[in-house]
Amino acid sequence: MKKKILATLLSTIMAASLFVGCGSSSSSSDSASADGVEEITWMFWDDLNATEDLISLGYKDVIDRFNADYEGQYHVNVVTTNLEEYYAKLNALVAAGETPDVFIVSPGPNLTDYVEPGVAAPLDDYLGQDGWKDTFTSDAVFTQQTYDGKIYAVPLNTAAACCFYNTEMFEKAGVDIPTNYDDFIKACDKLQSAGYTPITISAGTAWCLSMVAGYLCDCEGVDLPALADGSASWEDGKLESAATKLVELSKYFQPTAAGDTNDVATANFYNEEAAILIQGSWAIAQINGNNPDFESKCGVFQFPGEDKIIAKSDSLAMSSSTKHPEACVALMKYFTDDTAQKYTAEVGGKIPVTKVEYDASKAPAQLAYVMDVFGNAKGTFGFYNESMPTTETGSHFDDTMVAVFLGDMTPADAAKDMEEYYAANCR
Amino acid sequence: MDKLLRNKKAIFVFMAPAFILFTFILFIPICQSVYYSFCDYNALTPAKFIGLENYKTLLSDKVLIIALKNSIFFLIFSCVTQLIMGLFLAALLTNIDKGRNLFKNIIYLPCVLSSAALGLLWMFIFSPKLGINQLLIKFGIEGPLWLMDTSGYIILPMWVIAFVALWQYVGQSMMLYMAQISGISKSLYEASYIDGCNKAKSFRYITLPLIRPMVATAMSLNAIGSLKFFDLIFNMTEGGPNHKTEVLATHLYQQGFKYFKYGYASAIGVLLLILCLLVTAFINKVIKTEQYEM
Amino acid sequence: MKKTSPITIIIYIFLVFMAVLYLAPLFWVFNVSFKTNAEIFTAPFALPKAPTIDNFTFAWTAGKLGIATLNSFLVCVITLILSMVIGSMAAFGIARLRWKLAKLSLTYFLLGMMIPVHCVLIPLFTRFAKVSLTNSLVGLVLPYLTFALPITIFIMVGFFESMPNELIESACIDGATIYQIFFKVCLPLGKTGLFVTGLMTFIANWNELLLAMVFISDDLKKTLPVSLSKFVGPYNTNYSQMFAAIIIAIIPTIIVYCAFSNQIVDGLTAGAVKG
Repeated sequence: MKKKILATLLSTIMAASLFVGCGSSSSSSDSASADGVEEITWMFWDDLNATEDLISLGYKDVIDRFNADYEGQYHVNVVTTNLEEYYAKLNALVAAGETPDVFIVSPGPNLTDYVEPGVAAPLDDYLGQDGWKDTFTSDAVFTQQTYDGKIYAVPLNTAAACCFYNTEMFEKAGVDIPTNYDDFIKACDKLQSAGYTPITISAGTAWCLSMVAGYLCDCEGVDLPALADGSASWEDGKLESAATKLVELSKYFQPTAAGDTNDVATANFYNEEAAILIQGSWAIAQINGNNPDFESKCGVFQFPGEDKIIAKSDSLAMSSSTKHPEACVALMKYFTDDTAQKYTAEVGGKIPVTKVEYDASKAPAQLAYVMDVFGNAKGTFGFYNESMPTTETGSHFDDTMVAVFLGDMTPADAAKDMEEYYAANCR
Repeated sequence: MDKLLRNKKAIFVFMAPAFILFTFILFIPICQSVYYSFCDYNALTPAKFIGLENYKTLLSDKVLIIALKNSIFFLIFSCVTQLIMGLFLAALLTNIDKGRNLFKNIIYLPCVLSSAALGLLWMFIFSPKLGINQLLIKFGIEGPLWLMDTSGYIILPMWVIAFVALWQYVGQSMMLYMAQISGISKSLYEASYIDGCNKAKSFRYITLPLIRPMVATAMSLNAIGSLKFFDLIFNMTEGGPNHKTEVLATHLYQQGFKYFKYGYASAIGVLLLILCLLVTAFINKVIKTEQYEM
Repeated sequence: MKKTSPITIIIYIFLVFMAVLYLAPLFWVFNVSFKTNAEIFTAPFALPKAPTIDNFTFAWTAGKLGIATLNSFLVCVITLILSMVIGSMAAFGIARLRWKLAKLSLTYFLLGMMIPVHCVLIPLFTRFAKVSLTNSLVGLVLPYLTFALPITIFIMVGFFESMPNELIESACIDGATIYQIFFKVCLPLGKTGLFVTGLMTFIANWNELLLAMVFISDDLKKTLPVSLSKFVGPYNTNYSQMFAAIIIAIIPTIIVYCAFSNQIVDGLTAGAVKG
């Protein structure tokens, strides 16, 4: 008898542990709980509790507000990863059939990845209801989120990549704001001879360097869509001359640029160790947060020689398989309501996407300058690495630019490498 | 008693749980992995058989070549340095009386710590603005870009990572050799001293031959460990700059879980598996022993 | 007392140097974890001006490291117990029970030592995703357990084989069943081996990153090594808290290690030398 009990016990250890697994996981996929609350999930690329990023903290407020206001009706659960692992995790959930109901996504190939297999739902019908779409500044804010004429994601804010500069250093070195590439080089020369580090940048975080490369490429007239369909070649000399300029500019970078991460490069700027920081406007919050005294000294100008501006918006997409589209739409509306958009401008320092009235005096001083630059620009384009056919191609571009900067590749080699890569993987 | 030990049911009860686990969690997935390596399989689309296509891609994948080179560098480096440093430390420690345990424990300590945490830690120590270079500047030395310099056949970051790995894991080899050395009878040494050997000679003629089996053990451990190597690199460089510090394991992770090429990543996995089996077989062939350990 | 030779002094100097090399980085991170972010950037090596434990409390609560520690602990303890039971049972079956395939099955299990976890990552992941085992701690326990088995079986086979036959014979004559022999006679005698394999399993799983990173996305189910990277934000990193998190992640293993270091070493020795 004892034997039998023992035998059963031992051989069921495995089975038991399996059951526990199914039990615990089935509860999480049950989206409607017993008391009728519709539960949805929202996925984001920064930990809302551990973060110091003001925009992320703003999102946390939105989530809290939503859960409080809709208590008993809707409830949103938050899934977060860090940015590096975000798409991996998201794809994993998609593959497992557990697509989060609402998820953040970068417009461009990242969004395309989810539109093409039908993971993201078109949102035009929802946007059309109750005048939601009319609250946005213009239809143009949806450009990057539109795919085959349909809108697949709702933008939450716009950030523009600009040159932030230390007005004090510029004054002392007698430098004016450069408006074209040659002036830019001259200005850097002057700053350098005045004893300042002209530019702080991060090549340790590849996209930071790639952003500057993107500007240089666009100035040269690189045509990404034509490159993707094969009607243009990377080896037409445009990338080569852009990369040559990048190498030329790199003489003015801080000596540790190659290894500095994004944070360190930004810190160099607000600790007044360098005169110019080329960064997205999300850096405003970081700059003012870490050195509040610096706000008055910080100016903004457009990337010299460029009449367009690199813009990026955080966007939310909705799962096409969600069981609670109303809850999802209600949530997305909370992200674009006046409270949230006001926060975006006044605290977060990003450009709001709706016609919200915000108190410009409360907003960081730099936001007004960024808005000026943004308003004067003839148009916008996306991050280069987010405007290529696949995310892997984008990373390849980033890596290639870092290699050029490190002297690993000549500009001509880089052009050849990109062309080969496109020929093999993209066309 | 024989009847008791031949009881079929007892054998089943004792073996079944481990056997089932092993088969379902290890054996079947490996077979599946081999199958996937012949498929075009992307997370969002079902697997489609494409024959040797993934293996052909392996040959033309520049990053894979770098990863393979780095993995093999790592393998050789860690086998050699761990053998030398491990033996050296073991010999030193067996020759001192006071504080042996203390030093032994300190050197073994990183082996039990999380490589993920240590990787982050070392990344900051080698970051130009915050880490060791700032200390060097105080002595008037301009430190190199530890994790970003890309000149040379084996680039500086690989050496840095390899030395960090040595730092972390040499304790294990040291421990194994010490165990083996302390197992050698004292009378052997005493006899050799009477015959006029000095310490160095007795190390050469007594210790070395007697720890041969352990060399095979420790080396196989190192070899497989270094091929599997992931955590430190992932947190120190993530394979960058420009994939120059990629190893097979990080490349597999990137292809599989960043770009979702399950099929291709499986092919890398199969390559890794074959390498592991080959290397273990090789080490045990060259350093012949009856049975190796761990 | 013989006099200290110059060689011994050189050896000690070298060893002290090594000890510094080993401890300095740990002290550095300990030091930094009490600073504010701004201080890390301006004076990375100086002692903290105003030491603060805010980093720790923040990481523990807002960073959910408390939950992560609990998760790590749960996963490790469950794996530990199961691997000891299942592993030593299989080891006993191989070492003591008489059947034809015993040797072959040992080889089968030992092959597991040579297999890197990366090779089974994708099939395991897709399979677990289908049965909802991803995002569950059980989904971590199963592979952890499986990968802990080879070493457990290997060391325990050594222990069981070295036990004198008479032990089992006399128990047999007393009328014990095979299960009683295993649980009441052999297992208690293999305590040392179990202890060591247990500790090694615990430490290995406590530190495991890859599987946990791939399988778990729910914040409430993350284990410690995965949680470390959550302080890296999209546009900025929360350094001081990350350092605090590193300390939180390594302190438990340091404590376990300090408490049991001699047993770990002895066990390693015992297991390894037998082979």
